[in-house]
Amino acid sequence: MLNMYLHELKQYRRITMIWIVSLVTTAALYMALYPSFAPQLDAMKKILENYPKVLLDALGVGPNVFLSFAGFYSIIMAYMMLAMSIQAMNLGTGIVAKEEHSHTAEFLLAKPVNRTQVLTAKLLAALTILLITNAFFMAAMWAEINFLADILIAGKIFILMTLTLFIVQLFFLGLGFLVSVTAPKIRSVLSISLSTVFVFYVIGVFDSIIGSKAVRYITPFKFFDNQYIINNGSYEPAFLVVEAVFLAAAFTAAYYFYLKRDIRTT
Amino acid sequence: MNIYLRELKARRKSIIFWSIGLFLMDAASMNKFAGFEKSGQATQVFAAFPKGLARAFGLGNVDINTALGWFAMAFMYLLVLVAIHASLLGAGILAEEEQDKTAEFLYAKPISRAKVVTEKLLAALTLIIILNIVTLLSSISMVAAFNKGVSPTQEILLMMAGMFVVQIIFMVIGSAAAAIVRKPKYAGAAASAIMFATFFLSLWLDITEKLPWLKYFTPFKYFDAKIIANHAKFDYAFIVISIGVIIAMLTMTYVSYNARDLKI
Repeated sequence: MLNMYLHELKQYRRITMIWIVSLVTTAALYMALYPSFAPQLDAMKKILENYPKVLLDALGVGPNVFLSFAGFYSIIMAYMMLAMSIQAMNLGTGIVAKEEHSHTAEFLLAKPVNRTQVLTAKLLAALTILLITNAFFMAAMWAEINFLADILIAGKIFILMTLTLFIVQLFFLGLGFLVSVTAPKIRSVLSISLSTVFVFYVIGVFDSIIGSKAVRYITPFKFFDNQYIINNGSYEPAFLVVEAVFLAAAFTAAYYFYLKRDIRTT
Repeated sequence: MNIYLRELKARRKSIIFWSIGLFLMDAASMNKFAGFEKSGQATQVFAAFPKGLARAFGLGNVDINTALGWFAMAFMYLLVLVAIHASLLGAGILAEEEQDKTAEFLYAKPISRAKVVTEKLLAALTLIIILNIVTLLSSISMVAAFNKGVSPTQEILLMMAGMFVVQIIFMVIGSAAAAIVRKPKYAGAAASAIMFATFFLSLWLDITEKLPWLKYFTPFKYFDAKIIANHAKFDYAFIVISIGVIIAMLTMTYVSYNARDLKI
């Protein structure tokens, strides 16, 4: 099992490095906009004072949240979440499915290992890859925050907000595993992962503009409300439960179906 | 001609799937508009936003209280979807022969590589046109449905014309990637990496007013739906740039693919 685990890590080494570099660069570029953004925020503060606080909170633009660096950071997190979800979904779908479409499944499954071990090794490798990505990302963001002057954000809030990326990635990793063991034939991993992630993303975008509540249980992009995190210094328990239930169901189903799967050998 | 027909047939299911997806996306986003219209007070707050902030929300200087304004905002997301489709199609249609190990079979036939590429690209173009027409029809009907039956057809036609050019750009970027990238399985990844890089660049340009000339590097900025919604025209400079990009990518596709050491 260790061999399979290490093999996967090696296989994904280059692509993970590319992901880390591009994620960090993109986020850093967005973050570099903050100094020019800050004066606009002060002007905005005066305008927002004229509106009822309840309304502003409902829109997610409460003054103490939206107009702080934490608020700006949460916009960046929303974009990064999109990109990193693609990484996770791609990884989850590809790591299992690639054995079939590159015709290596016969080779792998003929080895003296059972399918549970195969799937576990792949799952652990995927988790490791995501952990490494997030560790690098968080370190780089913290470094840039300390490098740019005049930025105030509590360490705890920073960690909580950045960690949402990892939790959302887990959701898409689970979804990817589920898709790869149930889909009869996967022609292109990329088109599945790109379109799935993007559909979830767009559902979230439109509903946050009109402030819909129900949709928050459907799309992981809305599991975490940055305003809530900033005000309370914690996540909303209900959505952690939703995530946990989904992950448990997805991975249980993934093992169940993979053990029974009729592996394509042609 | 055979290759052209074969490609269309092979992608029949996928194009139906994409068409349904785009129709649903169109319907869902306009349906949201109905919900948004009701919560009147919310719009006042967005109206008070300074430009940079409003743009960070994807609103820009467009009036999202009108069905057309809302559609202009939603257009960006339709655009990304068709761009994903076009990039993967352009890359896949060339790269799959090598990936599926059918390249030896195909290129052993008495047919030149250039002819294969031409037929494949024509098939891809046909699929792109189909997807564009589906989006056009669903957009016109959806906007009309939420605009008391009146459809701003002219603006939507212009947006879809812009969308078509963007689709072609990403398709030829995809085919150029398939011709250049050494390992065929990375062709789609390379094309979609370019697509997402330009998408994030355009989001970045939405927030800031610095470095405005960067907009020439992202096709997502070439046909700005918000400007079309307001003025019913687009910037012709971008059409010239688009044609330039398309010709460059096509040349690259043919030249590199002709010289390509096919992976067998």
